[in-house]
Amino acid sequence: MIKLENISKTYRTRSVETLALDKINLEVKRGEFVSVMGPSGCGKSTLLNIIGLLDEPDQGKLQLEGNLITGYEDKKTAGMRNHLVGFIFQSFHLIKELDVYDNVELPLLYRKMPAAERKQRVVASLEQVGLSNRMYHYPSQMSGGQCQRAAIARAITGQPRIILADEPTGNLDSKVGHEVMGILTDLNKAGTTIVMVTHDESLAKETHRIIRLFDGRLVG
Amino acid sequence: MLKNYLKIFLKVATQNKLFTFLSLFGISLTIMFVMIFSMTFNKMVKGSGPEKDLKMMLFADHVKTESQGKNRSINTNFLSQSLCENYFKKVTSATITSMYRTDQWAFILNGKHYEKPYMMTDAEFWKVFGFHFLQGRPYTNEDIVNQNHCVVITQSIRNLFFGDEKDVLGKTIRVLQLQLTVTGVVEDPSSASQNISDGIFIPYTVMPWPYGQEPILGPYTVVFKANSKAQFPAIYKEVQDIITRLDRADDQWTITLQGPRNQFEKMMIGWDMSEDIASPIGKFMKYILWGLAFIFLPAVNLMALNFARIRERGEEIAVRKSFGANSGSLRGQFIFENLMLTLIGGVIGIILSFVMITLLGSSLSVPISGFDSVPVGFSFDLKIFGVALISCLIFGLFSGVLPAIRMSKMKPVIYLKGGEK
Repeated sequence: MIKLENISKTYRTRSVETLALDKINLEVKRGEFVSVMGPSGCGKSTLLNIIGLLDEPDQGKLQLEGNLITGYEDKKTAGMRNHLVGFIFQSFHLIKELDVYDNVELPLLYRKMPAAERKQRVVASLEQVGLSNRMYHYPSQMSGGQCQRAAIARAITGQPRIILADEPTGNLDSKVGHEVMGILTDLNKAGTTIVMVTHDESLAKETHRIIRLFDGRLVG
Repeated sequence: MLKNYLKIFLKVATQNKLFTFLSLFGISLTIMFVMIFSMTFNKMVKGSGPEKDLKMMLFADHVKTESQGKNRSINTNFLSQSLCENYFKKVTSATITSMYRTDQWAFILNGKHYEKPYMMTDAEFWKVFGFHFLQGRPYTNEDIVNQNHCVVITQSIRNLFFGDEKDVLGKTIRVLQLQLTVTGVVEDPSSASQNISDGIFIPYTVMPWPYGQEPILGPYTVVFKANSKAQFPAIYKEVQDIITRLDRADDQWTITLQGPRNQFEKMMIGWDMSEDIASPIGKFMKYILWGLAFIFLPAVNLMALNFARIRERGEEIAVRKSFGANSGSLRGQFIFENLMLTLIGGVIGIILSFVMITLLGSSLSVPISGFDSVPVGFSFDLKIFGVALISCLIFGLFSGVLPAIRMSKMKPVIYLKGGEK
């Protein structure tokens, strides 16, 4: 499903080189729920960005759903992001100018999909996260938990096979964090592969496997 | 998708009021100036009122004589009376041919000093130009031949000389030592007219040109009116044949005449009689280039604002990229938003141009050539709508494309982490 072979990534400024990932080898099977842990700056988000084709590795091979990513052409990677991957971010990243409905509809707008089908999918996704009563609210009118539910609905509305969640509970209190974790667990039970970056050991223990990173290397 | 872009555009526009105001201010002012210039230009070329058939007219108004030999001399002027009467008025390929001259007349009335134009014309003048007579009739060929002291006056002259009195036929006014009897009153011609003056009209035989009778050069313009533009080549050939004959018959002078020319050519070329003269289209293109340069400066300003705005919208762009937007669709979105902004600015600009013309029309003028500047005027048709639309598109595309390209190339990871570093 997701396979990384010798993936390395270095960030360069004029004076500093930072090795973010150092020869990472990792395989995540279809339907697995994996959590990635490690201290700040160890490369967790970089790993997620590379899996999600938002960033390009300096070397190594990446396979998604059996497709070897050989080139990073804009249209091709955009298409794969749209169909294969759904992102959930710590700070939600909902577009504040759009209401919940329009935010959730976003991934579908980049597909040639009839409006009626889009509507059906958006409504279904919002019902799945328990937010159908907030469809026409703007992000500024909702709590953090509701915003993250909306972000999850946006991530799943395109029915991707992989969900990449970067500290999805990081900005939420423990109770709401567990509710969000519950939604992710349900999604995983329905067959979605999930890779989640987290600092919360207790949440990580709820996943199938914990991957630990330190200074850009896998340590466990 | 467009609905989504439109929602974002409206939200961003209403949230960032300063940006929206500055953008719309620049766009609407630019479009307003482009509109005022275009409408005035269009009005002059298209003609209105007595000049409503301007497109069917050709003008011969500048002739050049050049002496050969040691004491080379070049003279350029209007046409002489004899050239008009003996040659051009006999051109058979035109449907009607008329001759006229224009001058200024200074007078004191009720203690106030006035300066008004007057036109000395033949009788055909009234057939070429479609004046609306409020009273009376035009003078006839008989009046021309008999040098009858008659005059047709405009409505504003009637009001000036006779006040509230409506029936002024048979009354006399004194013009340049002549006592003239009013035979007709016409509506005032448009202030944008390039060929007709707003004043009085007198038979040209009543008052000969005071500076002598030259064979070629003089004060007159000839206008050839056709029923169809298909007659134009024949008129042109006949007129040029006349000039060639006259030139061959004269050993001392070389005679050249540009044209006859239509209104557009007349305005573009003006008095320039040089042999290497640019074509009217070439000169028109220069005006277009000036217009583009005029649009260019505020567009650069908007471009700079747009570049600044990219940073503000970095998060949104990153999110869109994360969920499948490619660079092309992001460029499309940004250009769409910019075009929407310029179209709104364009509509405001069009409204402003109408307001400006209505409020200040008589005191504003547009420079057309080194000699002429004309009062601005309304003339809104499909062409003008096209000019406004194209100006908006150029403005929108020019100011939007480069920022859109830069925006579409940005790395989403930077903004998802919380900002540009």
